[in-house]
Amino acid sequence: MTRRIDQGIDRGAAFRFDFDGQPVVAYPGETVAGALLAAGVARFRTTARSAMPRGLYCGMGMCWECLVVIDGRPSNRACMTEARPGMRVETQRGLGGPERS
Amino acid sequence: MKTCDLAIVGAGPAGLAAATEAAELGLDVVVVDENARPGGQYFRHPPAGFRPVGETPWEKDIRRGQSLFAVLGHPRVTYLPDAVVWDMPEPSVLAVAAGPRSGRVQARAVILAPGAQDRPVPFPGWTLPGVISAGGVQNLLKGQRIVPGTRAVVAGNGPLLLLVGANLVRAGVKVAAIIEAAPIWRRLPAELVRLVAAPPILAQALRYRAILAHAGVPILAGWTAVEASGSQAVDQAIIAPIDETGVVDRARRRRIDCDLLVTGFGISPAVELPRLLGARLRYDALRGGWTVERSADFETSVANLFVAGDGAAIGGVELALAEGHLAAQAVARRLGRLHAGEGSTWEARWTRLDRFRRGLESLYRPPRSYRALITPETIVCRCEDVTRAEIERRRGEGAASAVQLKAATRMTMGRCQGRNCLPTLATLLADWAGTEASAIAMPRPRPPIRPIPIGDLAVEDLPPPDLPADPHLPRGRR
Repeated sequence: MTRRIDQGIDRGAAFRFDFDGQPVVAYPGETVAGALLAAGVARFRTTARSAMPRGLYCGMGMCWECLVVIDGRPSNRACMTEARPGMRVETQRGLGGPERS
Repeated sequence: MKTCDLAIVGAGPAGLAAATEAAELGLDVVVVDENARPGGQYFRHPPAGFRPVGETPWEKDIRRGQSLFAVLGHPRVTYLPDAVVWDMPEPSVLAVAAGPRSGRVQARAVILAPGAQDRPVPFPGWTLPGVISAGGVQNLLKGQRIVPGTRAVVAGNGPLLLLVGANLVRAGVKVAAIIEAAPIWRRLPAELVRLVAAPPILAQALRYRAILAHAGVPILAGWTAVEASGSQAVDQAIIAPIDETGVVDRARRRRIDCDLLVTGFGISPAVELPRLLGARLRYDALRGGWTVERSADFETSVANLFVAGDGAAIGGVELALAEGHLAAQAVARRLGRLHAGEGSTWEARWTRLDRFRRGLESLYRPPRSYRALITPETIVCRCEDVTRAEIERRRGEGAASAVQLKAATRMTMGRCQGRNCLPTLATLLADWAGTEASAIAMPRPRPPIRPIPIGDLAVEDLPPPDLPADPHLPRGRR
């Protein structure tokens, strides 16, 4: 099934951004978290201490679990960041600094 | 520094109702909200680019929200979206971080309407991708029209589970089961007398129940999620019966396949600002844990500091709206813009809704504790990956209090600043001490109460601080 509810809504024109080298479809006003979840991506980052997988949890900007690297800048909350055409989103490993491989 | 009669923190139901009332009564109002768009969690709505096509179950709430948003364009109202109140150095001053718009707001009175957050209840696997809070799933549905899975289990405690379950069904998701910790079916007959105090809300609940029944979704009452399993994301929820004392019968556990485990163990008031200002709090397990003590006018123990809605004690959207109006009327009376006895039409409504709330609280009274779910390997602090075993090891080494355990493990020091682990730490400490969570001394919150970009501080035009020549002396002494 699609993870976007199509009934009762016209989303406008789709665009794409890049997630770990793969194109992801988004619509104007969608968050990075929304678009990733709609594409079936649940894991957004791994933790610094134990490299455990994490994804969206609180969905309202409070828990800081959904962190991703955007255009080289680490620690953006995917649930609070609007997707933009052409943005480069990466899975955040640990603190997401330049030491990541 | 911006000055006004009334500053309101939060543009959810309570904040918007307060702004509407205050603007009508002639007060100059500033509304600060951390979200880009108004409405809080309840009136979260899709972005402007999404155009509705025909009538869906969501439109009525959206229209209701939009009529509330109108006040933000009122000539006496200044609305600061995308703005975080990170400190209140005095009860009348808000420190606001908002990029180049950062600065301070000075008000003659303040109404806090910060709302609530999901109450964290740790169990093994609750950190796996695909385990999402009930509030988070609601926001995806309401604000993005996106479902984060295809086969869901909804587990926790409280009326929100029925709503999320029904919404997921309406969105086309297969909901395998609703897992409710409280034995609600057994308690329902005794509570009906209070629940009929709010017929529209009761009718709504029955509609959700009918949607779930029609879709064949079982509701297991007196059960809880005890584990989420999976390696990179959740693929199974494990559930077991729980009794009212919190004892879990693992021998009767069952596994349910799912790619979405929604957890909602009730919500807790966001009390950081009242706590920072030293306002008196009161522990109320039925209303979300720490609640704010208030007068009949919704004023806290700090003069001219009011709290309305779920940010004070959990009561739901209709009570929040009533409290927003009533708190704004109280401020107007304080500032001489309203005479005693005037503007009390919301009081009768509040009383009726409060009666309903008491019935609902009693119906959904949770088990005394969820600590049986916290196995040694369970992550308690999500930010710093601290397990229960690690906390107990540090405790064995002599770290006895919340403050000592914080220093020893780094728990509560991560980005969420304790919001997801402090309640659990209080539960564990109370358990070890043989007392209640209300008796546990919690670490003092310090500004910034939310992480903010350091550049936002540089924007502020403040007088130079009165620093001592000797940096080892306390501030203000020379």
